[in-house]
Amino acid sequence: MAYEPPVTDYDEIVENCTCAFCGCNCDDLDYLVKDGHVVGVRHACRLGASKIMEDMDQRLMVPMIRDETGELQEVDWDTALDKAAELIAGAIRPIFYGWSETSIETMKHGIRLGELVGAVLDNQATICHGPSLQAVQNAGYPIATLGEVKNRADMIVYTGSNPMNSHPRHLGRYSTFPRGWFRQRGRFDRTLITMDPKYSDTAKMSDIWIGFEQNGDYGFYNAIRAALKGKKIDQDYVSGIPKEDIMELAEAMKNVQFGALYFGLGLTHTLSKQRNIDMAIEMLTDLNEYTKWVLTPMRGHFNVNGFNIFMAFEMGFPYGVDFCRGYQRYMNGETNTIDLLTRKECDVFMVIAADPGAHYPGGAVKHLAEIPVIQVDIHWGPSTEIADVVLPGSFVGVEAAGTSYRMDGVPIYMKKAIDKPETCRDDEWIMRELLERVQKIKDQEAAVASK
Amino acid sequence: MTYIEKPVVPKVVKLEEPAAKERKILNMMLNTGSDIYQGACKKRGSTLKDEYRKVCGVAYMDPRDMAKLGVTNWDTVKVTTDWGEVAVSSVHSRDAPHEGTIFIPKGPWANVITSHETYCCCDPTYKGIYCTVEKTDEPVLLMADLMRAVYKKYVDDEETIPELKSLGEMPVYKKK
Repeated sequence: MAYEPPVTDYDEIVENCTCAFCGCNCDDLDYLVKDGHVVGVRHACRLGASKIMEDMDQRLMVPMIRDETGELQEVDWDTALDKAAELIAGAIRPIFYGWSETSIETMKHGIRLGELVGAVLDNQATICHGPSLQAVQNAGYPIATLGEVKNRADMIVYTGSNPMNSHPRHLGRYSTFPRGWFRQRGRFDRTLITMDPKYSDTAKMSDIWIGFEQNGDYGFYNAIRAALKGKKIDQDYVSGIPKEDIMELAEAMKNVQFGALYFGLGLTHTLSKQRNIDMAIEMLTDLNEYTKWVLTPMRGHFNVNGFNIFMAFEMGFPYGVDFCRGYQRYMNGETNTIDLLTRKECDVFMVIAADPGAHYPGGAVKHLAEIPVIQVDIHWGPSTEIADVVLPGSFVGVEAAGTSYRMDGVPIYMKKAIDKPETCRDDEWIMRELLERVQKIKDQEAAVASK
Repeated sequence: MTYIEKPVVPKVVKLEEPAAKERKILNMMLNTGSDIYQGACKKRGSTLKDEYRKVCGVAYMDPRDMAKLGVTNWDTVKVTTDWGEVAVSSVHSRDAPHEGTIFIPKGPWANVITSHETYCCCDPTYKGIYCTVEKTDEPVLLMADLMRAVYKKYVDDEETIPELKSLGEMPVYKKK
């Protein structure tokens, strides 16, 4: 990349903002603001900076409805909200999907709307860390905050995860490089291990890279468990790794003072899914007989964990919560978005701050092409290409304040730095308006029915 | 600004005898996932732009596999799985060697060919899918054109899709 001179032309600095990109929620960013726009970001990684200095060409500025020719047509807010409310109120099996890039305050109205119409509320966990949440229900959750890892950990393991590409400040700010209370020399006091079939950018800078076979996670953790329990490993190679290396690694993991394991989508997206994570948690249970080990899923969006915590607190289930019977229900493989879409059950789909067009497998998007889709988002993306009603929201953490939860479950209040474009509305306002309008339609229906 | 044109990829290394093992079709394993170039471009919102096609509509390949197919950086290959087929650019992987495996960053291109099978575990299988890779002359479509060609939501006559005008790199909507 070419050299880029530092940004010196700005009006003011807004300090200590929270990054609205990944589950690290770095809360030390400084925004350089000129004429009501962020022109520079200090301390953020490449991902965070590029999100905050957004592409205004593709910013959704006005509400839009698809007309009969199949083209989006600009309309006023009343028309768009009425159209969306009409679709939602008339739906038999609606899904409200997304929520991970908006605030907890928005979700509050979303839950009430979901209960009112009997919708399925689901978030991005259903296509990323859903199996991790199932595994946590199966096998337990030995979690620690990132601060504890920073101060104590002398061994960091990333498995099925590539933080240098997806959480670039995770190593620098929380796990590997910073100096901690008991790790005064920072990186030199810690051992970094990456377990991944791919020689990823994180593996390149690790002390040890364990490149087991594709889909070999389950067998590999089992082999470590066997070694920890003093059992003999019969095979010479397990998942492509020599048994001597496995014995040596198990011994090294046993003899640390504090270990932290971070796992990513390499575990959840392969064939064994939640069983991989079950086994990783069981491995930690075994390690905890000798020393202290903790584990944290590497959550992707800044508030994906927030939705799970909020839903679990309010409704008892973390994601894929179905209200169609009037009470909350959760059944894996039945009330999850991808299954509902591939079975063609859903008849109205609302997406809030997410991009199913880009991130759902084609088989699920094919059903979205057959049903009405309502989009609440800030950018024109693949989902806009298949959306029938578009409601432009605001950027939480930059243009709107809100609460979010970090990957380790620490709530952080994200402050507002600049004003949103005049024609956009806050996500919270949009959800409240939809709720009120749907309530009005339902009240009218009830009044007619009672006559 | 943090704009980039293409991901930084090394030049293809010439192998000693690529012709000896030359093949028309390769049986490979497909992985998809996030990548820093894809993440930065997607979250900035530049999904309609050519830049997004350059960072997302690519298959990162091992140089040996590229030599076997006879393709170089930014040539077009067709990747086929049980769930679909898509044309993407072939580029030399930064993480090579990983012979027999290709990596496509997550996005609309990758998801045409990923598996929606959740096996009742809620999560589709995005990684470890068997695929075939072959050289092709089909163009790598821009995001809007790809969504139209694959999902056909607002197309009346499917036959006419290849002849339709490109939707371009800017949002298209009727202003009031």
